[in-house]
Amino acid sequence: MPDHKDIAPPELIKDRGSLHPINHMKDSIMSLLVSFGFEIVDGPEIETEEFNFDMLNIKKSHPARQMHDTFYVENKSYLLRTHTSPVQIRGMLKKKPPLAFISGGKVYRKDDDATHLPMFHQVEGIYVDKDISFAHLKDLIYKIIYSLFGNNVELRFRPSYFPFTEPSAEVDILSNEGKWLEILGCGLVNPIVLENCNIDSNKYSGLAFGLGIERIAMLKYGVTDIRDFYKANLDFLRQFK
Amino acid sequence: MKILYSHLVEHIQEKPSIQKLSENLFQLGHEHEIEGDIFDMEFTPNRGDCLSLNGLLRDLAVFYTINSNQKIYTKEIDQLSIDFENLADDICTHITFLKLEISDIPEQYNDSMNKYFKDLDISKNNFFTDVSNYLSYETGQPTHCYDESKIKGKFTFEEINISNEFETLFNKKINLSKKNAVFLLDGEVINLAGVIGGKNTACSSTTKTVLVECAYFRPEAIIGKSVRYDIKSEAAHKFERGVDPECHDEVLRRFIKIVSDHANIKSMSIVSHKARNRPIYKIPISVNKINQIIGLNLSKKEYLGYLVKLGFIIEGNSIIPPSYRADIQTNNDLAEEVARVVGYNNIERLNINIPKNTEVNRYEIENKIKYFLLDHGFYEVINSPFVGSISKKAIKVDNPLDSNREYLRTNITNSLLDNLLYNEKRQQDSVKLFEISDIYYSDSDNGQQKKRMLSIIASGKVGLNYEDFSKKINEQYLVEIFHKILPNHDLVFHKISRDNLDTKIKNEIISFEIDIKNFSTDTLLYKEISRPPKGFIQYSPISEQPSSIKDISFLIKDYSKTRDLQDLLLSYTNEIVKQVYIFDYFVNEKRGEIKIGFRFIFQSKITTLTTDEIDIVYNEIVEISHGIKGIMIPGIK
Repeated sequence: MPDHKDIAPPELIKDRGSLHPINHMKDSIMSLLVSFGFEIVDGPEIETEEFNFDMLNIKKSHPARQMHDTFYVENKSYLLRTHTSPVQIRGMLKKKPPLAFISGGKVYRKDDDATHLPMFHQVEGIYVDKDISFAHLKDLIYKIIYSLFGNNVELRFRPSYFPFTEPSAEVDILSNEGKWLEILGCGLVNPIVLENCNIDSNKYSGLAFGLGIERIAMLKYGVTDIRDFYKANLDFLRQFK
Repeated sequence: MKILYSHLVEHIQEKPSIQKLSENLFQLGHEHEIEGDIFDMEFTPNRGDCLSLNGLLRDLAVFYTINSNQKIYTKEIDQLSIDFENLADDICTHITFLKLEISDIPEQYNDSMNKYFKDLDISKNNFFTDVSNYLSYETGQPTHCYDESKIKGKFTFEEINISNEFETLFNKKINLSKKNAVFLLDGEVINLAGVIGGKNTACSSTTKTVLVECAYFRPEAIIGKSVRYDIKSEAAHKFERGVDPECHDEVLRRFIKIVSDHANIKSMSIVSHKARNRPIYKIPISVNKINQIIGLNLSKKEYLGYLVKLGFIIEGNSIIPPSYRADIQTNNDLAEEVARVVGYNNIERLNINIPKNTEVNRYEIENKIKYFLLDHGFYEVINSPFVGSISKKAIKVDNPLDSNREYLRTNITNSLLDNLLYNEKRQQDSVKLFEISDIYYSDSDNGQQKKRMLSIIASGKVGLNYEDFSKKINEQYLVEIFHKILPNHDLVFHKISRDNLDTKIKNEIISFEIDIKNFSTDTLLYKEISRPPKGFIQYSPISEQPSSIKDISFLIKDYSKTRDLQDLLLSYTNEIVKQVYIFDYFVNEKRGEIKIGFRFIFQSKITTLTTDEIDIVYNEIVEISHGIKGIMIPGIK
């Protein structure tokens, strides 16, 4: 019979907290991109129309500039950035090519339903150098998506339209259920945007891409209502350890 | 926009299947869903030219032979004399009027038109309006039909500031405000240009003489109007995206042909006002540039061949885009055309090699703080910045989604307090949360300011384990923790009063908010225990049902059985057991026994649990526990 006086106390299990799944996803993607050679740049969430729209070739007539799509503050003198692209504009004005920037963070649009929120997160990247082609962009996108979803995932590139890239593409992945799901937008930087940032578009070209973090997190974790991310429910947060 | 497969394939010699056509459309960048025989298209905003049967056929011409059977009226037409003045020809650069008189109003429509109304489930109005709608579907050019007998007086087009009630031809009354491009008859608005016509001058079922207006409006003048007045308008959708400024003659000749297929035309006359020519872009031919942009190796012949199929004109050393492609101005635009035809998915990848950056990670300190907090049981949250608070420094949103939340928050703590109460309402008895966020505010001296802040909040039990279960979170607890990471900092913790909060819980609420700048590189010395999540996480939907607690206490004489019991119960799973932990552990040396308590939290995903439902699982737990020899549950045999 074992010596019943040997005390083996139960393991003391301390409850560790968890990173917010959106921040964790954002940071993982940014770390991946840093490992590819990108440098992180930051910018303000309160922006001017000039940086958020004009410099990006988004014309005055573009629907995004209407009051029903964009939050304006301080009597329309500023706005809440609708994407993280203005951060890259600020970066390009400061540094000469070759340059490779990523920026991530909160962005704002006037939306509110099960798949859209007025505040959401993006990571965007830009790489400007000599002789960057659409074929290079494809290679980078494949590398990003393979890292996120595994090397067996099937990708589809579709022509699309963004004022700040030309050619532009949207990229879908094939879900296990056989449905194509949109994952990111990308393209070659519109030469107009390079010229706006005093970069000679005859000498340099660039590629750019942007991902919606919530969308990727919803797909990866199987969350169906985007609002669940922002209720701060401990039963929800505990699952992301 | 909905387009019938049968309408498309009627003009395509090769007769591709609907699936094949769907693949072609995706390759060209035309997203859609298929509903039976209908393509429900979603075009990108630069491709207004595709918003019609013919527009789509023009794009499909790169893959197929298109045989159009749409005949037009080819004979000379009399000059129309009309008292019309274009007072805003910078907005309406080109406008054409056609007057048509028919003997009798037809009762039946031909096959193409019938199919359009029937298969696309579009309601009919009156003969001329129906022809106009069908023509817009076929050609992409909206036209407006006035009852000619009602256009008597001074007829003008202007862009004016106006506040006026206007009744649309669908009997909807709208209040015009601000600047609008409008057609006026003796100063009265009869048509909200590019959006919808007015009731008073509209055609009716008895109209035999029509005045058809066919115009090009600058998209900027039309954009936003249908949203402003809450009008669903296909015409506006097209004008906002840009229509073909050069199509008037052909479109109106097609109008005449369709009318003549249905009725006897007694008279017709036409007049066109062209204020200015559209800008014509001539792009120098450079196949090298195109190859460089895409990363291909096309010959000049292949390159130009693709463009010609898409309707581009080659003139000497230049490429001229067709009149309906106002979106094409540069080599990058042409590169996209070529890439679409080749197929984005057929372009081979070229290895990318980005030079390594040498910048340090400026988020290192912030990450360290996060892991420090994780180690101490804090969960990270993210909150919306929109609040109703009226701190003098708060920045006001001009157009909030919710008028109760029209300011940007000036602190994080208030958001965390909401999060804490939310969790307490869901029976969480240990809540520790943190958030790191930029905070924006306006300072009367320095204007707009930004700070990056960390805020934490904590209340309830220190932890859900036998050491921390009976300890309550208080200021001392937090001081001790934070001393490890901010040893030289005077930390000011706040005790938030529960007096004005909607809660019966009495636990102290402790919070603090601090500028991230206060953490130095010394923070980096902290060695964290927590690790980022590894591998695949499959989220399981959370329950909003109430939870119930059951505690079971054991007496153990044979100390070696403690671990066995722990292993058994902590790994116990049941669909209504949400959580289990050891809340009590005590060695009574005198009596030679160990007392150990397990807390089970029961919650169903779908319903409020009954005592009986809980007891079934409880009894099962008791039974399997008894499988371990030498343990007792006081009060239960």
